Amino acid sequence: MSTVALFARLKLRLLAGNLRGDLQRKLGFLLTTVVALGTAVLGFLLMSLLRLAPRELAVELVIVAFTLFLIGWMIVPLLAFGLDDTLDPAKLALFPLPARSLAIGMFTASVTGVWPLTMLVVTSGALIALPTGIGGLLLGVPAVLLQFALCVVTSRLITTGLSSALRTRRGRDVLAVAALFVVLVAQLPNLLLNRGFGDPEALLAGLAGVLRWTPPGMAAHAIADGGLTGLGELALLALLTAAIGWLWIKALSRALVTPDVSTQAASVRKDSGWIDRVLPDGPLAAVVGKELKYIRREPRFRVGWFSAIVVTLILSFSLGRTAGEGGPGGPALPIVITAFGALMIALQSGNTFGFDGRSLWMNAVTFGSERDLGTDLAGRHLANALIATPLLAVIAVATGLFTGHPGSILPAMLAGWGALGIGLGVGSMTSVVLPYGVPERMNAFSSAAPGQGGQAFASSMGAMAGIALLSLPFLVPLAFGLLWVSVAAPFYGLLVEVLGRRLAARIGFARLPELMAAVGKAS
Amino acid sequence: MTDAVRTHGLFKRYGQQIAVAGVDLVVPAGSFAGLVGPNGAGKTTTLSMITGLLRPDGGTAEIDGFHVWRDPVEVKARIGVLPEGLRLFERLSGRELLTYSGRLRGLPKAEVERRAEELLTVMDLTGAADKLVVDYSTGMRKKIGLASALLHNPSVLFLDEPFEGVDPVSANTLTEVLRGFTASGSTVIFSSHVMDLVERLCDWVSVMNQGHIVAQGPLEQVRGGRRLNEAFLELVGGTGHARGGGLSWLGAGARQPAPAPAPVDEPRQDAQ
Repeated sequence: MSTVALFARLKLRLLAGNLRGDLQRKLGFLLTTVVALGTAVLGFLLMSLLRLAPRELAVELVIVAFTLFLIGWMIVPLLAFGLDDTLDPAKLALFPLPARSLAIGMFTASVTGVWPLTMLVVTSGALIALPTGIGGLLLGVPAVLLQFALCVVTSRLITTGLSSALRTRRGRDVLAVAALFVVLVAQLPNLLLNRGFGDPEALLAGLAGVLRWTPPGMAAHAIADGGLTGLGELALLALLTAAIGWLWIKALSRALVTPDVSTQAASVRKDSGWIDRVLPDGPLAAVVGKELKYIRREPRFRVGWFSAIVVTLILSFSLGRTAGEGGPGGPALPIVITAFGALMIALQSGNTFGFDGRSLWMNAVTFGSERDLGTDLAGRHLANALIATPLLAVIAVATGLFTGHPGSILPAMLAGWGALGIGLGVGSMTSVVLPYGVPERMNAFSSAAPGQGGQAFASSMGAMAGIALLSLPFLVPLAFGLLWVSVAAPFYGLLVEVLGRRLAARIGFARLPELMAAVGKAS
Repeated sequence: MTDAVRTHGLFKRYGQQIAVAGVDLVVPAGSFAGLVGPNGAGKTTTLSMITGLLRPDGGTAEIDGFHVWRDPVEVKARIGVLPEGLRLFERLSGRELLTYSGRLRGLPKAEVERRAEELLTVMDLTGAADKLVVDYSTGMRKKIGLASALLHNPSVLFLDEPFEGVDPVSANTLTEVLRGFTASGSTVIFSSHVMDLVERLCDWVSVMNQGHIVAQGPLEQVRGGRRLNEAFLELVGGTGHARGGGLSWLGAGARQPAPAPAPVDEPRQDAQ
């Protein structure tokens, strides 16, 4: 019991320590808490409202939801590994803790927090949704707790089992990119439904029929059943949870004595130097070269680019289908999709210094004037555009052919380039006005350092709003069919980029130390 | 002789805590200067403010007579910096890192490559030159960081704990390079808490404690005939509590012996 209290306090201390003396972090934490509370209330309501749905449907939905929760717990902490200092067993290796108290402690630490609490609240919504009698209610309480424990223990087992792999650079690099597939898989049901594979209710029934035999499915079924079958299922679930817990303790004791394995580094390829043949020798060429190398080598960049493309593809699939059935869109559709792709690509530059993190000083010690910072931004934009311009052209051609509006290809391309310019210009502004640290650890999707989430949110919202607003002058005429306007779009985009970059250089140079402090938060 | 570095009333606070409380640091040009002080004395904060990486809350700093915050162009061309903690551009190889930082300062590519090659040879990093910095060891990082700080031939070099975590061989390389650098009339300022090292290398010492400079001058003057370590402990008052009366539980006398093992019939056979 004292271990529980100790670790709960440790976790709370760590949370509080992260917030000390920094208003922005406090606001960010407040935002997170509000969002989590909102999620908890909303989730609980939705879950309990299932009571009003037809019983069959309610059971099926809860089964699917419980399974999704478990999968979420398995995947999300893996992506967020490193956000929580209590979770890395290596940090506790030197304390004389028996594996059992360590396990209890780490379990406590992982359930202490806003999100686990949210999870518990949402899960307990099933207590209202499903039971038909007192038996269901009686079985429901342990079922919910077991489901929660199962989620936590499984997620711990996975992170602990992989922790030695996660501590090597190569392992983290691989996992960061692998995370993309999670996003793709998460989109699958949506795509399947959108493309009309059977009716959703039959699909749900089929899915629930299978998932009903998974551990979370049994938990849900036990609540609905409320009889002897339910009891048996719960016993099975408890056994399974205990077994996973045991495995976890084993993995923990092993992780504590397994040293960090560092991978033997390989040499990098010599770069071909084509940038230097195209650009005049000087800082600009150096920045472009460095940025292109980073896009190739840094997992966070790779993930950023891949997800920009993937999101665009998903959007064009779902929009393209509705257009095919004579829905909205028409000739404007390729334009919208290409502009959206440009937006997604440009958003990566919305916190361009965040990726430099604490190495930003290497640039800062050379920036003697606004012009130097401006050159740096220009180099980054140029590197981005070198990839984005042909990419947007491909997207424009593909969507134009795919939706059957080849006439829109050229305007779409031009509009995409225009939107890219606007995005880069606005992005350089948000980079200097609302900078935040991007954790280097491995997680490509938690985009901000702990406590800076709010700032990251404000930054990307600001960037999106800015880009959308500034794109209206040419997107609106295009939507009404005035395709000739697109000729002006790239020039307009370039203008916005130049102005944004100049202004950002002026603001950014004046607050260079603050900029470094903000992006240096993530370790 | 002019001063390479001169600060006046440099001041920085974090919330309630005053990190640097009005520092007047002076370092004559051409000297090999050590900035020493216990942990938390404000050495890193001071160096960050002088190199323009951290905005001071008050006071001024001048390098070669140029105001750090008013003449950044002049100042930044003159200084080389190796900060503590040492984050570099990790996804570049050592060679690429040097090339990048040299060209960012506007040096022509051919010249940068020539200098980088020489620096890599001197630092004994040729074998690792094409590996990513993220895979470097601490000593290699310090060496590549120093190389990148030297590449543009600064007149004043700031090093924050350059020898921490560096093996003796690398440390020797570093000191050789730095000695040659100051012999030519350039200035090196480094922070450290290894007194022997400071005593061996430096001809100018500034002692910091709790955000203040408590002693400053030529090495001989500061240590006043004693070992630097003794002079330092006296200056920062570090001799007080060590054997005062606390920690009575610490040491072999106070430890409970482990319970005796159960008697074993046969004496254990040691491996031959």
